[in-house]
Amino acid sequence: MSSSGSVRRSNGSSRGYFASSDDTKICVVMVGLPARGKSLIAGKAMRYLAWVGIPARVFNVGSYRRHNTPQPNATFFDPHNSEGEKMRRAAAEAAMTDMIRWFNTSNGVVSILDATNSTKERRRWIYESCRDAGIEALFVESICDDEDLIMNNILEVKTTSPDYKGQDPEVAALDFRNRIRNYEKVYETIDDNEKQYTYVKLINVGSTVIINQIKDYLSSRLVYYIQNLHIKPRSIWLSRHGESEFNLSGKIGGDSNISERGEAYARALPGLLKKSGVPANTKIVIWTSTLKRTIQTARHLAAETRYEKLEWKALDELDSGVCDGLTYEQIAQKYPEDFAARDEDKYNYRYRGGESYRDVVIRLEPIIMELERSENIMIVTHQAVLRCIYAYFLNTPQEQSPWLEVPLHTLIKLTPRAYGTEEQRFKADIPAVSTWRAKGTSAKHQDYPTAVTA
Amino acid sequence: MDTLLTAEIVVNSPRFRRKSSTFVDAIHDLPEKADLAPAQLYSTESGRLFHSGRIVIITVGLPARGKTHTSVALARYLRWLGVKTRIFHLGDYRRATIPFGEDIPDDYFFVNGSASASSVLLRQKIVKRCREDIYQFLNDENGQIAIYDAVNPLASGRRSLANEFAKHDIETLFIESWCDDERIIEENVRRVKISSPDYVGWSSEDAVKHYLARITSRIPQFQTMEEKDLNYIKMMNAGERLIVNNRSFGYLSHRIVFYLLNLHIKDRHTYFVRAGVSLEADSYKADASLSDKGESYAQKMTECLVKHRESEKQAMIDRGETDYELKPLTVWTSTRRRTIETAKYLHETGYKVRQRSQLSQLNPGVCEKMSEKRIRQEYPDEVSKHELDPYHHRYPRAESYHDLAVRLEPIILELEREQNDLLIIAHESVLRVLYGYLMACNAADIPFLEFPRDEIIEIIPESYQNEARRIYIPDLPKEIIPGSPQDIKIPVPPSGLNTPLLAGIGSPKDGFSTPQSGLRTPREPERISQQHVEDVV
Repeated sequence: MSSSGSVRRSNGSSRGYFASSDDTKICVVMVGLPARGKSLIAGKAMRYLAWVGIPARVFNVGSYRRHNTPQPNATFFDPHNSEGEKMRRAAAEAAMTDMIRWFNTSNGVVSILDATNSTKERRRWIYESCRDAGIEALFVESICDDEDLIMNNILEVKTTSPDYKGQDPEVAALDFRNRIRNYEKVYETIDDNEKQYTYVKLINVGSTVIINQIKDYLSSRLVYYIQNLHIKPRSIWLSRHGESEFNLSGKIGGDSNISERGEAYARALPGLLKKSGVPANTKIVIWTSTLKRTIQTARHLAAETRYEKLEWKALDELDSGVCDGLTYEQIAQKYPEDFAARDEDKYNYRYRGGESYRDVVIRLEPIIMELERSENIMIVTHQAVLRCIYAYFLNTPQEQSPWLEVPLHTLIKLTPRAYGTEEQRFKADIPAVSTWRAKGTSAKHQDYPTAVTA
Repeated sequence: MDTLLTAEIVVNSPRFRRKSSTFVDAIHDLPEKADLAPAQLYSTESGRLFHSGRIVIITVGLPARGKTHTSVALARYLRWLGVKTRIFHLGDYRRATIPFGEDIPDDYFFVNGSASASSVLLRQKIVKRCREDIYQFLNDENGQIAIYDAVNPLASGRRSLANEFAKHDIETLFIESWCDDERIIEENVRRVKISSPDYVGWSSEDAVKHYLARITSRIPQFQTMEEKDLNYIKMMNAGERLIVNNRSFGYLSHRIVFYLLNLHIKDRHTYFVRAGVSLEADSYKADASLSDKGESYAQKMTECLVKHRESEKQAMIDRGETDYELKPLTVWTSTRRRTIETAKYLHETGYKVRQRSQLSQLNPGVCEKMSEKRIRQEYPDEVSKHELDPYHHRYPRAESYHDLAVRLEPIILELEREQNDLLIIAHESVLRVLYGYLMACNAADIPFLEFPRDEIIEIIPESYQNEARRIYIPDLPKEIIPGSPQDIKIPVPPSGLNTPLLAGIGSPKDGFSTPQSGLRTPREPERISQQHVEDVV
């Protein structure tokens, strides 16, 4: 770096520094004993990155190891079992090699190395391997000394892991306890001898967080996201508003009232929620948009259950700008080019004076953060917004999310698990028009085939 | 100077209100139109965001640890996000209560029991007055975040503050600035505390020693935060490490952690310049290279900047800082050709140049290559909507300034993160938004800020507020100088007005070298840093 005086004019081409655009590469390195929610954090961070459009991939060391030892017993994890140690080391090396290859051959930005990485020696090896490959290592340690939380995690999540496929859950849980004990013998938490590393230490699910040496913006954003996560069991319920007057006339947007059938759905919603399974003593918070049709849809539910209710401007329907209040047919007629352009790239298409799906995702980011922080939430919102939220939880690719089918008068229950989100759908037996439009059609809103119950 | 002013205000007004004493940075003024925040995503009926409730942020830390810097930076960011935020510096209340010229009692900061009764009473009176203003702001003025900037050295005092606010249904978040790195502390003292008349004629080393000794005798007891029952963020050694104790963090508290992760307290200058004129200045899509005039501008701008920095360095050396070194300079451009090529000479001189896609200019949408007349003919409705709200209005297919501000948020955080001096070469629309953030401009004013090509804007951070300076670039051809023509309310006025084709579109200001719009246009900075000398010690 020179800050000295004279400026020379050179005949060199300006092409040279076209290549110097930003190229941060980050490896998120999970650290922690088993059953501390590492895979959950890794999986969620992965989904979040994909949802906001950052190329990311998880490298799970366990799955490399499973390849060679599909169902190991607890002795495999005994640190004194040198054979086991050798195989675990080989699995880590294979994962690292694949990871570096992935960074070099694709435009990857964030990798997540999911393993216990429980010794200083292992972490130093990772730190140095990353550094040599021009990758920034970000260690994320999850510490938990709350026995209940740990046992919960083992019983609810770990016994469904591929390691224990087809085994008696009791035996599996016992084996898992032993496995944890083996790790505890050698576990070294990140301490002041490692203060040159970039790390985040989450203690008891984020009630205390230590954040050390964050060196770039993307890492800070990841830390921000991870801080919002928790591992308490919960569900999120999603519903569109009941059929509206605009739905009946096939118009989009607007702020109309719900129809008679919509009102029937609103009345059926408390029962439908009950039927979907709400654990005893569960407190649910109801979120709606600020538009009449979602507030009306949620009002009986709120009145009967006395659940707290919040209205969010950010949950309002995608703004269709000049097309607000028109039918798809009218749009195709009035703005034929726009109509075609929207079909071509629906995710990025922005209505004249309105929003695109990408815009909606940006405005929903605070909602996603808030959802991650919260426990049981029931969201009553609109088609496009629901698609975006659904895409986040189910990891739907961007080009597919705007075409997802989310029918009216259907309750979707999402339950996050360590290995993905579980989805159940419950249909109310109340007819409604279908507002789903296939690519390339201007199909009018049609009567929904008489409902099938889930 | 400012001390006198604020004391007078207190005497003459029922509630104490600070108004910036300079016309530079508006961070201490409350915006008149509170509903217009540059990057506000959405609003609620109450004017408060995210159902987050009301929060008092309470600073904790000995003097010279960067508390005020953190408070001001945080307020700047929160306001930009659309959160109604105000800072209450306890020092202002102390100065206003204790007559000018009188010093605070020696035992003012002592623990209860070892302080005299009169000092305890005085302290209580001052704190009460400040607290009343905070309630007024949060309860009656729809304020959402009040930042209470004080030393708060003792756990007992902090806990009773938290209880007191909880009684009023107000959440508390403590932010401690903690530091054991002597170099950082001394640097802070040198920068913001010893420019006072008290230290005229002192060597900076002696002045620092004297100042630190005064702190130690004045505030003999300081307890770092360990209160597990309180919400707190402990910032250690200027952001090297953060410890977060999360009892009940809401959305905004998490967001604050995110922001603090990117903040540092190092002193760094930011420069803004326009890109040079390009071959097809009227086309957004063409992404054309620089014209000859653009090339020549790039060279002259570079020479002028390098010369300016050298003279700054010389001035410091002349002032006795013999080993003064300039901070390295990093250059950011957008990914558009014009801006990259404007950085060419800097790159060749050895400066680091980084491209950022988010720095691309406002997308003009359908207005690209259209004259004002044609826009008025074809989109009369849009033009009238635009005139009503030029900040938020979006032409068909175009971005509004608001869209641009939201897109630039990551850049804002990276800007805070950067440790080197920074030169940003970008389109005027981008400079407006970034300047708007750094100088806390009202959103409505942002589309009208002007950055003529013959000026380099330099933003200098002070712990209390930012200052802006304009550095004149000599010998530029007149026709490339004007800013984007503001009288025409088209969203992206072509960036270079050098072609005859465009002359008619309205460059009413053609030929003016520095059109002053009068809206927060930076003037000669007025230094007010000495006012904080009496703040604590």
